[in-house]
Amino acid sequence: MILGTIFESGISVQFYIVLSTILFAIGVIGVIVRRNAIIVLMSIELMLNSVNLLLVAFSTYFGQGDAQIFVFFIMVVAAAEATIGLSILVLLYRNNRSVDIELFNKLKG
Amino acid sequence: MTALIILFITALLSLFIAFTKKPWMVLTVASAGLIASATALICESKCANMLQFEGLEFTSFAIFYGVIAMIFAFLILLTAYSSFKETPEHTGDYIGLLLFSLCGALIMFAFTDMFMFFLGLEILSIPVYVMAGSRKSDLRSSEASLKYFLTGAFSTGVVLFGIAWVYGGTGSFKLAEINTAIMAQETASPLVYVGMLMIMASFLFKIGATPFHFWSPDVYDGSPVVVTGFMATIVKLAGFGAFLKMFSMAFGSLHDFWAPALGFIAVITMFVGNLSAIKQIRFKRLLAYSSIAHVGYALLTLVIQSPDSPFNLMAYLFAYGFSIIALVTVSLILNDEEDQISSFKGLARRNPYVGFVAVVALLSMAGIPPLMGFFGKYLVFAEAIGEQPWLVAIALLNSGIGVYYYLRIVILTVQKPEEGSPVVSKHKVPALQWFVLAVCAAAILFGGNMLIF
Repeated sequence: MILGTIFESGISVQFYIVLSTILFAIGVIGVIVRRNAIIVLMSIELMLNSVNLLLVAFSTYFGQGDAQIFVFFIMVVAAAEATIGLSILVLLYRNNRSVDIELFNKLKG
Repeated sequence: MTALIILFITALLSLFIAFTKKPWMVLTVASAGLIASATALICESKCANMLQFEGLEFTSFAIFYGVIAMIFAFLILLTAYSSFKETPEHTGDYIGLLLFSLCGALIMFAFTDMFMFFLGLEILSIPVYVMAGSRKSDLRSSEASLKYFLTGAFSTGVVLFGIAWVYGGTGSFKLAEINTAIMAQETASPLVYVGMLMIMASFLFKIGATPFHFWSPDVYDGSPVVVTGFMATIVKLAGFGAFLKMFSMAFGSLHDFWAPALGFIAVITMFVGNLSAIKQIRFKRLLAYSSIAHVGYALLTLVIQSPDSPFNLMAYLFAYGFSIIALVTVSLILNDEEDQISSFKGLARRNPYVGFVAVVALLSMAGIPPLMGFFGKYLVFAEAIGEQPWLVAIALLNSGIGVYYYLRIVILTVQKPEEGSPVVSKHKVPALQWFVLAVCAAAILFGGNMLIF
């Protein structure tokens, strides 16, 4: 509903597309540039959330509910993924005493 | 739908039966569940009163691919059984995760809308992240798990962004409606193009095609051997199946736009895979690079996109999967800590049976005529040669490069063991692995003719 009123107040869907693309790009840059594995995980979450924003914007634009349901799916899956990711990080921290991804270079060639 | 439910319940059951700490019991239940599920899947087309759900449609495409994925999963379970005995308390976890992942693969063959596709992709991937890291004290295994997880989660983000853009361009999540919407527009909206390319990039990530292949050698190398086998057969099969289905059903009308790009990617994938495989000394790394090359050949079926494409792709991956499972089993029997290719040396003298199967599997991957791999390649190339002769020429050249490194291992296998090397005891082959090797060898030797008819 709140989103609906925002649309009526004149913010068109293009702005949401631009905003979520910027957010997505920040997430991608974060994944590529950052060395701390936890920050990389956060960047991936940012990518997923930019998708959520885009889907909700389109959903309101088309006046359909589908995309908002999709957002719930994405949230659930993102939670599952974060769980697995964090447990893998705990495992690595036990073996390596660090979460710096540059240190994980045993596999090469 | 019934097949999926049976499979899911079997996976849950095997998680709980594991509390008895009797691996054979878990294996029995899992096998029974797999067989029941495969039967239900085959019945799906014939019986009218099955459970229905509009998001999943079990067409003959989904049934064929699903049954093949189940056959592979069954063989992998049998192969893995001997390694379960070392850690009986984790048997249920392994088998449960493997079956959950298989559920995801089934969904990826049967989806009709983006919801189910996305869920299938995640159900397929998440258990594999865990399985890749299942040797907890081994740093290489954990590292493989992290790399697979990060690239996988990243590609999930990309595919979701693509889905959102396609939704913006067409206003629907259903494959058929997306296609209708694209056809209705005079020139397809730029939103659709951007979204489609992102979805394509994510698929290329999943199957490990070249610009996005960098994770696969590391992950294949670090994971436990059985998990490598799982990733090279079922995950790849699921990725390809969904790729073909989505790009023929939803984006089929934009074929002229994406086919040249995919053709170019196929070419660089073949070259990168084959040329990198030549200098490998670790066996699993070699398998990884050779699987990248095989992805390149299999991509030809998508570039052409004829009515026969689903069958040709299936035949190709079917032939490839049996070779991979046979080689994974051989690698488990050799049980070389460092996983060097040189551990194959003299295998044919030490254990003629295992040596024979290894040679057959390697030759089939190289595409030597009477074997199944040749017929898979033949079907793919014969379909493509009318439309894209230059692409087939490059693929044939690459097959030639491939023969070089496969034959290198074959020669090592049949060589005499070195004089003065410690007397290697004859490798003991557990009965189940013996059975798996026999099935794979029979399929590779005699299955090829069945593909043609």
